[in-house]
Amino acid sequence: MRRRAKHFLFATFDDFEKAIEVISDLKRLDAKEDIISDIELYSPIEHPEVEEMLGEFHQPIQRFSFFGGITGAILGFIFAAGVGQSMFTVQPQGGKSVITIPPDIIIAYEMTILLGVLSTVAAFLIYAGLPRRLKKYYDHTVSVDQIGIEVETDPENNEKVRAVLQRCGALEIREETQ
Amino acid sequence: MSDYSMKNDIEWAKINEDVLASLESPRKAFWVVLGVCFALVLAGAAAEIYQYNNGLGVALMNNPHYWQTYISNFVFWIGMSHSGTLLSAILLLTHADWRKPIYRFAEAMTFFSILTAAIFPIIHIGRVWDMYWILPYPDQRAIWPNFRSPLLWDAFAITTYATSSALFLYIGMIPDLAICRDKAKGWRKKLYTTLSLGWMGRATEWIAFRRTYVLLACFLVPLAVSVHSIVASDFAMSIMPGWHVTSFPPYFVAGALYSGCAAIITLFVLLRYVFKFEAYMTTEIMDKTARLTFAIAMAWNFLNLSEYASIWYSHDMFEHEMLIDKFTGPYAGVVWSMLFCATVVPFAMAFKKVRHNMWAMFWVSLFIQLGMWLERFQIVSPPLASNHEPWTQSVVWPGLIQLTITAASFGWFTMLFLIFCKVFPSVSMYEVKEMVYHRNKHGQKKLQNIDKIKDDMIKTEEGLS
Amino acid sequence: MSLSRMLENWSDLNKQDYYEDEPIMWGMSIDLNKCTGCGSCVTACYAENNIPTVGKEKCGSGHSMHWLRIERYWDEPEGEADLDIKESEYPERGAHFAPMMCQQCNHAPCEPVCPVAATYHTPDGLNAQVYNRCIGSRYCGTNCPYKVRYFNFFDFQEDIPHPLEMLLNPDLTVRSKGVMEKCTFCVQRLRSAKDAAADEGVRGHVADGAVQTACQQSCPTEAIVFGNLKDDKSKVSESWQSHNVELDRHEQFNEDERGYRIFEELNVEPSVMYLDRVRNTEA
Repeated sequence: MRRRAKHFLFATFDDFEKAIEVISDLKRLDAKEDIISDIELYSPIEHPEVEEMLGEFHQPIQRFSFFGGITGAILGFIFAAGVGQSMFTVQPQGGKSVITIPPDIIIAYEMTILLGVLSTVAAFLIYAGLPRRLKKYYDHTVSVDQIGIEVETDPENNEKVRAVLQRCGALEIREETQ
Repeated sequence: MSDYSMKNDIEWAKINEDVLASLESPRKAFWVVLGVCFALVLAGAAAEIYQYNNGLGVALMNNPHYWQTYISNFVFWIGMSHSGTLLSAILLLTHADWRKPIYRFAEAMTFFSILTAAIFPIIHIGRVWDMYWILPYPDQRAIWPNFRSPLLWDAFAITTYATSSALFLYIGMIPDLAICRDKAKGWRKKLYTTLSLGWMGRATEWIAFRRTYVLLACFLVPLAVSVHSIVASDFAMSIMPGWHVTSFPPYFVAGALYSGCAAIITLFVLLRYVFKFEAYMTTEIMDKTARLTFAIAMAWNFLNLSEYASIWYSHDMFEHEMLIDKFTGPYAGVVWSMLFCATVVPFAMAFKKVRHNMWAMFWVSLFIQLGMWLERFQIVSPPLASNHEPWTQSVVWPGLIQLTITAASFGWFTMLFLIFCKVFPSVSMYEVKEMVYHRNKHGQKKLQNIDKIKDDMIKTEEGLS
Repeated sequence: MSLSRMLENWSDLNKQDYYEDEPIMWGMSIDLNKCTGCGSCVTACYAENNIPTVGKEKCGSGHSMHWLRIERYWDEPEGEADLDIKESEYPERGAHFAPMMCQQCNHAPCEPVCPVAATYHTPDGLNAQVYNRCIGSRYCGTNCPYKVRYFNFFDFQEDIPHPLEMLLNPDLTVRSKGVMEKCTFCVQRLRSAKDAAADEGVRGHVADGAVQTACQQSCPTEAIVFGNLKDDKSKVSESWQSHNVELDRHEQFNEDERGYRIFEELNVEPSVMYLDRVRNTEA
């Protein structure tokens, strides 16, 4: 089965307020006619408000950190006490017992943080969709001070979307079909 | 006071230009400094090769003085690495926005001082070629490293810390690398394209980025505290008089933050001067950093004095002797200079005039760092000179080899840092933009509020009349 | 596998004195009254254990390797007779000799700090040093209150002139640079004595006097007594008992007896008992 080509419109704006306006307009349009598959916002800085506008992002990164940390703690302890200290070459030292709990806790603590950090970073790459290639229509001005709006829609609805973008003062609109 | 704090109407394009200008081909002075640093590193390498071939005795360490400046340098550089990541993470979690223009180079400083510190165990150890035995790897002989040893905790802690702080630095730099990618040409283009992982500033990326960044900060704060506590355990877990001090972990953490803050101030002044970052690294930020340093200095002094007090009132004969020897014995000069540099000098920061004068702060910070280096030396050497066993008590000063390697470590650190500054943006562009954006927005909101309150007041007055 | 081993032996592995039930614990007693400071024990130790002689220069810079050393202290001159020569650096009398070697602590501070577990406790109560495993972090040395661990700061073995390497004892290694070394109560002799006993069918017991350390063997005044502390009839345990010195104490409560252990207040449980020197100050 041939994959249906995706059609994108990419518009740049010089103000975040305008971008907010565009998104609400597009949403209204979508609610009326159901023509927009996806909206994505490109910005040079973070705008936490985006989450309210574009809908909740499903990114349970903290769960990765949590389970990574727990795994690290258990592995660290087993590693130090089980594997290292109670192997065949049992070595009592300094009159202490063979399995010494406090040092093993320190090892477990460090491993908690190490695996926690690594799994957090892994989760970041997974949920941010990185690493990836740059899109063809990606505009360098977005990394300076402009806001980009990417709309995925059918080619036949092109004009309607373009009208909305234009009305809100888009500086430039690009089209791309993949 | 026109340039006291950052302007709110600074253009975003100008931020990019100013910061990216710092990556352009450097002046002559840069190459001179880099050359000097490289020469120092070469001298250090030569000293290390000589020591490797002849044995550690050429460094003039001897039997009671098993440890000397290699260990104090190790502690010094690990300490230096603390404030970068720790302050960045704490200030991120407490939403202190003045961290934004300075955290990047502070984190880079962290990473490079860990790289410097990690060299010292290698230089210090007797059989470098068997160094990998300290790693816990399974082998057929079923021999494992000793998990009770604080040195092994060090190995774990430093590996974790180096990995995590490098990732923290890198993740926080990805949006900036994307900016560089969009502007760069040639080999830099390739480098930044690879490193920026195709970051485009999509909302998905930003949301994931922010969550990750805060989570990493949450991991890094307890980690940084634990790392220096573990380094302190190297001393506190032993039974040497002068090392066996319960308050060493917090004392070391405070000392680490202290010397790290001083290093941040030094680099702050230098970067501001060299790259003309006056618009971003403002007097306001220096003022806040200096206040923080002053507070940490007082905490460190308190812990230092309480350590003396706890030794003095412990009525332990060995500890008493050690303390008296420290202040009156052959190493007294080191101890008193340390007290001058790290206890007396920071009081200069109590004055606004000093805090607002960049070069005054530069010298204060250098004095503090000197004091903190001496502090590490006086932790390691004088107790060994007045140990339990009177027959072995002797005084040994570090020899030429040790001093060369110490100087080389400073060269190595500076070299790495200089290269970093020319390859990566040393001021975070996107966070400065955020800072400007939010301050602007808040400013407008505040004005609106005031207008509203005024309107309300007028209405109320009208209503009353 | 190792996990099940840990869980099955959990209580055993968490016990403090792991070698409690072992039949042998080597110990020593040194009578300072008998010690004349002649230094023959030091010489014997050098010969037995392949200890490098470092020469005058390196001795001066503190690199000498004497596993066993004679520490000479000068007491404050007591009594009338010494008053007129008090100013002299070496007074007529008051010299006090203490042979100092590794005390084979049962709670050795050097053991738990080694990152690669090169030093550990053997079942017969020795503080063993595995030269092959040592990487030279020197933490054990700093943590030793007696400072009886010696680090090979140079490659001393290279300096042995040609025919003299024939003098080396084949029973133990010659240490290279970067390795920590120390007294082990002549562990090569103890091992061969145990092996000899095992050959005769006796396991876990070595007859008292069947093995001597090099220092004990060469001491002309028999100031050093060595043996098994867990054997009640051995000379060394009789000596410990008669002077009322016991393990598991950080202070010996015997006003009238001469026995003590050096730095026992640090709770390191040394296995060497010293008998204090008694002086007649009236004469």
